Amino acid sequence: MRIAWRGAELRLLLPIIVLVPLGFAVTHIALSGMFEPGPMELAIGYVAIIVGAHFLLVAFGHRGDQLLLPAVGAMGAVGIVMLNRLPQDLAGTSALGIELGMAATQLLWFAVGMVAMVAVAVGLRDDGILRHYKYSWAAIGILLLAATVVFGYEVNGARLWIDLGPVSVQPGEILKIVLVIFIAAYLAETRTLLTSARLRIGPISVPPLPYFLPMLALFGIVMLIVVRLNDLGTALLFFGTFLIMLFVATGRRSYVLIGLVLFAAGFYVAYQLFGHVQARVDVWLDPFADPLGAGFQPVRALYAFGRGGVFGEGLGQGLVTLGGNLTIPFVHTDFIFTAVAEELGLLGAFALLGFAAVLVFRGLRIAALARDDFSGLLAVGLTASLGLQTLIIIGGNTKLIPLTGITLPFVSYGGSSILASSIMVGLLLSISHRTAVGADVEPEA
Amino acid sequence: MIATNVRRLGLYLMLAFAVVSASIAWWQVLEAPQLATRADNPEVIAARRSLLRGTIFDATGQVLATSQVIDGLSTRTYADPAFTHVIGYSSLRFGSTGIEAAFEDVLVGRTDPNPIRDIVNDVLNRQPEPRDLSLTIDRRLQDFAANELGGDAGAVVALDPISGQILAMVSVPSFDATPISGDPDVAQEPMDALRGNEAEPLLARARQGRYVPGSIMKVFTTAAALDAGVITPDTTFADQPEQETNGFVVDGFPIREHDLGGIAPSLWPLSEALQVSSNIYFAHVGLELGAERFLEYARQFGFCGPMQIGPLDRPLSVAPSYVTAAENGECSAFSGDVELATAAFGQGSVLATPVQMALLAATIAGDGVMPQPYVVRDVRAHTDDGTLSQTVLDEFGSGGTRVISTQAARATRTAMVDAVNGELGRLYAGQADVTLYGIGGQRSAGKTGTAQLGGEQAPHSWFIGFAPAQEGATPQIAVAVLVESGGSGSGRAAPIAGRVMAEYLRLSGG
Repeated sequence: MRIAWRGAELRLLLPIIVLVPLGFAVTHIALSGMFEPGPMELAIGYVAIIVGAHFLLVAFGHRGDQLLLPAVGAMGAVGIVMLNRLPQDLAGTSALGIELGMAATQLLWFAVGMVAMVAVAVGLRDDGILRHYKYSWAAIGILLLAATVVFGYEVNGARLWIDLGPVSVQPGEILKIVLVIFIAAYLAETRTLLTSARLRIGPISVPPLPYFLPMLALFGIVMLIVVRLNDLGTALLFFGTFLIMLFVATGRRSYVLIGLVLFAAGFYVAYQLFGHVQARVDVWLDPFADPLGAGFQPVRALYAFGRGGVFGEGLGQGLVTLGGNLTIPFVHTDFIFTAVAEELGLLGAFALLGFAAVLVFRGLRIAALARDDFSGLLAVGLTASLGLQTLIIIGGNTKLIPLTGITLPFVSYGGSSILASSIMVGLLLSISHRTAVGADVEPEA
Repeated sequence: MIATNVRRLGLYLMLAFAVVSASIAWWQVLEAPQLATRADNPEVIAARRSLLRGTIFDATGQVLATSQVIDGLSTRTYADPAFTHVIGYSSLRFGSTGIEAAFEDVLVGRTDPNPIRDIVNDVLNRQPEPRDLSLTIDRRLQDFAANELGGDAGAVVALDPISGQILAMVSVPSFDATPISGDPDVAQEPMDALRGNEAEPLLARARQGRYVPGSIMKVFTTAAALDAGVITPDTTFADQPEQETNGFVVDGFPIREHDLGGIAPSLWPLSEALQVSSNIYFAHVGLELGAERFLEYARQFGFCGPMQIGPLDRPLSVAPSYVTAAENGECSAFSGDVELATAAFGQGSVLATPVQMALLAATIAGDGVMPQPYVVRDVRAHTDDGTLSQTVLDEFGSGGTRVISTQAARATRTAMVDAVNGELGRLYAGQADVTLYGIGGQRSAGKTGTAQLGGEQAPHSWFIGFAPAQEGATPQIAVAVLVESGGSGSGRAAPIAGRVMAEYLRLSGG
């Protein structure tokens, strides 16, 4: 194996190496009022993990995209600085006799995530295992869901967690990946048929059902269960990802249109039938109608955006407390973007969104350059999933769309989310690597 | 290959990123100023915890409410529980009420009374400067009135009938607002105790309490009928003497006279009818006036809708008073002649606040012009040493509305002077005469009320009036006194009113 110096990647990591310890120091000064850098273990640990991932890729001769890791590293950097700034007792681990605060736990998961990312990026030399066992992947996904329904327990009304002794996991995060793999494999096989066969109802062409139904059926089951688990954010994410993959596979805008109409119809029915859906929509439309009751969460978030303004209040200098409690709800998970926007301002918020955009557009580039349909569709699915998740949760924070409880990839606190997102980036890296290697072996004339 | 479709997808996603970016900028830039000033903004709530509030003074510069900031926590101290239902409270746990709420932004200095300076402050982003307030009420009169009520639930409202300045506004029982306006962590217990108290100390009776007025309403009926030309001071009703004994049957319902205490019925004109408080006479007057005009005059006098104690851009609200059954905050139509005839002597469906009845008295005292009452006299620069600053930033005044003609008011006034001082009236309202309390050469005008509540409940004791009221004098104080279930108006309310009016005349050097 030949070492590939990834110079661009390393150069792009330099700001992270400098800024994360600086962020920790600024936070410490602001919170303690003492002019000293404060504890640096976590900052150095984070830098070591990201730089370590870089050198592992170098050591294994990885030739994939060099912008993904810096983008991930930058998002994670904002996340770890923010989580370190928040009260450490918001979350954490106490298992096997070890007590870890929130930021330390997050760091641990980041280490696991980066190892998984590198393992997938360099280990997956051949995508046959993904492509050929698509129904096995689908079965694993269904099993995971079934396990959640049976063994899962509720957090904040959504039944997403399975308790595995020392850790709790969210199977939905892993399901996200296997579902994308399945859909990519299925669409890669049938896309010619789906595109060429013409079945028209009036001006709209609809997918030829015999080829379409198996996937639709599986997808329907997944959606039903997800909705049953009361996880509307994940449902929206799955559905959006599916539509995007369908669009890229077939090039048919009408399919997307049909999907959106179906979604709107389903939503309307749910709105008519279920009180909690109505309540959620009403709160979304006018949270200020009841700012201390039903609208409490979105309103408190909007106030935080307002406080931040363009330049932000500065790390450790924002986040108003009332009676010792932070006023932004779920500030380490659903609303971490709001906290970033308050303390780092519109500029910080745009920067974070920009990092996500880099990840998304590099992902699309990997898809566009992929050497076969499966790799391309897989890259599209992974990218769409990461991108949509980012847009859905940020849009929920800003009241652009109703709020749903999903994480901001690499920023929100949560091991399952980091692990899944890391694996997804690892898959993107491996596709990109194969494209680069393939281009060497059989250069196109 | 799918590359083309991926590029198209890229465009859509770029659009999505742009829309989300715009939504962030919307709240962080465009909406930020509006968000910053909303009362439920946690930053505003948190800032209030540490913001110094201005001092509130009485009319003579006595401190009534003052703030101090200790360890970043702003706490409010109130000097006199007699003022609680005027000033309200400013609690970090329960929010603000009364003047504390109406003048919230002025007290903490978020708004400069001078709008131009407010803009300058915004531009310079100065720290808010607290402002002080001074009231129209002299603490001595307020305390005097509160002492007069003693342990009885009730209210005293006194105002200058010409200027509209509130001179006293007492609601009993009251409470000390200091414990709920300090550390928010220990405010719950005293508040719970107040909420659980059956005597309802949290109710601002003067403004928010609604009571059957009884015979004091006859002042309204008199004024309205005189103004409408329905009666003159000489008007008599031929059937009245006989009906005093046998009852006046309206729509099959017999209206009966109250116990006249041995006074023999005879054909009474207005003055005598008011002196003995003849229900029969005023039932006739009400029917002569008619339902339409009765309602019309009631609205003119402030009934049938919300009322405010100024200044009008920062008002204290007063509960609406009604002469018929309430309907969506308005007076419904009279259900028939029985309701009209009984309303004319203050029974039926009539419910009124003490403030409303004080304004009725003030309108007669003011020759038919109803003053707009107000209780905050001015806004001043804040001083740290608890003295009244000489720098007046904003002054409030009031206008008045003509409700009835000067002649009608004068004729009503004459009858009210008789009701206190006349041969028959003395037996009922004589105790309201200020001469009894050391004010020589002056006369009171007024009317007692003994509001029947039905059942075994003791009637409410009422008095409204003003002084000085003799020919040629300009009345300086108009009052309404209510004692809940205090018995007859003559026994309880009239002497309180007399003493309060006399005290005011003494204090003002009259």
